[in-house]
Amino acid sequence: MTLTAPPRGFRDILPTEARELRAIERALTDAFTSYGYMPLEPPMIEHSGFESTLGGDQLIRFLDGDGSLLALRPDITTAVARLVAQRYADASGALRLSYFAPVFREEPAMLGAERQYAQAGIELVGPSGRLADAEALALLAESLARAGLKDATIEVGHVGAVRALFADLADQVRDLVMRELRDGDHVGAFRRARDGGMSASAIARARQTLGARGRGIESVLEAAGVDELREVIHLAREMFAGEPLWGVPNLALMPALPYYTGIVFEAFHPGVGFPIAAGGRNDLLVGAFGTARPATGFAINVPRLHLALYAAGWRPHLEETLVTLAPGDPVVTARLAASLRRKGVAVAIGTAAETAGLKVLAATVVDETHAKLGDGRTLTVEALANEAGTKVFR
Amino acid sequence: MSAAGRPLRFAIAQGTMLPDELAALAAVGCDVSGVTSDERRLVVRAGAMEFVRARPSDIATYVERGAADLGFVGKDVLMESGARVLELVDLRFGACRFVVAAPRSAMARSLDEYRHLGSLEVATKYPRVAGEHFRRRGIAVEIVKVAGSAEVAPLVGLADWIVDLVATGATLAANDLDVIEDIAPCTARLVANPAAYHQRRADIAPLVEKLAAWAAAR
Repeated sequence: MTLTAPPRGFRDILPTEARELRAIERALTDAFTSYGYMPLEPPMIEHSGFESTLGGDQLIRFLDGDGSLLALRPDITTAVARLVAQRYADASGALRLSYFAPVFREEPAMLGAERQYAQAGIELVGPSGRLADAEALALLAESLARAGLKDATIEVGHVGAVRALFADLADQVRDLVMRELRDGDHVGAFRRARDGGMSASAIARARQTLGARGRGIESVLEAAGVDELREVIHLAREMFAGEPLWGVPNLALMPALPYYTGIVFEAFHPGVGFPIAAGGRNDLLVGAFGTARPATGFAINVPRLHLALYAAGWRPHLEETLVTLAPGDPVVTARLAASLRRKGVAVAIGTAAETAGLKVLAATVVDETHAKLGDGRTLTVEALANEAGTKVFR
Repeated sequence: MSAAGRPLRFAIAQGTMLPDELAALAAVGCDVSGVTSDERRLVVRAGAMEFVRARPSDIATYVERGAADLGFVGKDVLMESGARVLELVDLRFGACRFVVAAPRSAMARSLDEYRHLGSLEVATKYPRVAGEHFRRRGIAVEIVKVAGSAEVAPLVGLADWIVDLVATGATLAANDLDVIEDIAPCTARLVANPAAYHQRRADIAPLVEKLAAWAAAR
């Protein structure tokens, strides 16, 4: 029997979906470009042993011809850290890099256990401080807005501020507490803090600070880092005002990945039960490959963004039209199609079995400058272009 | 999927924990009069909340994927599922523990087998918990997944040891099994979907606070 389905966890993206993904890609990359970010394309395959941000069981690994272990890249952030250490080791000043590319994981996104999905994101390497953190944050908000997502909120936390809450603990215990918080286990984290000798009042304060969100943050202003958190959100909203209150201070926000060191953030939408994008300051990651460099950035999970857009009723293809041209004399047909395409009309000669949800205008060739529609009207190239709409097919 | 504007959705485990769950919810002021063990409806609306009864092992999935915002679920179920949810409160009921157990008389034989064959067979309903435990301990084992009672496995020669969840230990004792090692104590937890916890903090935080106080006072 011939196998026609792709391997487990991989799938074919058919035209309706692919067209929407293209629209998302255009909107996101336009936003990245407007902040001065340059596109980048790391290879699909990396050394398996490389400083991965994920556990080995999440990598899709295989052997190279020479016996070395390789892996399909599980994210782009690590690849950027590697290439910055190699190719930009001597660069001073800010590196602004962006990507839109598939990543591969053994157990990834919870969307039908797909092993491949697209990530879109940026890395800002070099600058540290509030303006740089605010830039990454604002760019995420603006990117989502440009992709057409309304009502997204970005929850902003601060790993350094959370770490400071457990300052009384020995370093080793504190690392374990932080790991449990990253795993979402508040029960285990506070139990370990108590067993590690943290006072009941300090634990109560830590609990209160972790629970503070939005305006609630006003009640924990004395905690280290909270002021910085507020100011970064404020600056970001000066860069991109957007919808009211898209940036929400929230110290309970602790991304699962361990490499974050400062301001962290995740984007949410009411239509999706998990984060659409995640990012933050990861000053240690480039250092894993050589000299440490301050860095911040984010990655948007494109299928989840698509899901949120879909849930919100976003259907970009409905605005576009495809003209199908029932052929007559071959040369006449070719010339008429060329004239129409010069006017910006999308033309398929003959039939179209897959139209990706586009509006279809069926026409028959009359002569080099005229076509007849199904309703009996015969139109000139100009009139047909108007009928189809002048929007350029992309 | 999740949706803003809908009532806060709370998944509760059917089965032995249900009375404790309902007692906890009633104690913090939730109207659970519509949720009883003989009620056939699985989704019950009560004021600003909605209760969904589900199998314990499904609750982690519901909450992880945002189909429910909150849930009561045993730590044992969480450990085995690996679901990424927020564990907010230890409710202290439903106490049990994961243990490694072996036939009382066969300890020497299984250690001899480990020396000669280099691996032990471990029967369990909880392959993830068992696998992680022996990896951490550096003991080479072959996990034999069973769906029913693991206790019978050493008796019929299916496996040397078992990893099981015990409350009192009576079933182990009745089958001549001894606990060799404790893996982890487990109690019920209040869990939240991370997105819901962040986005609906104003609804969820008071409930967390009251349930924590209720559990602490028990």
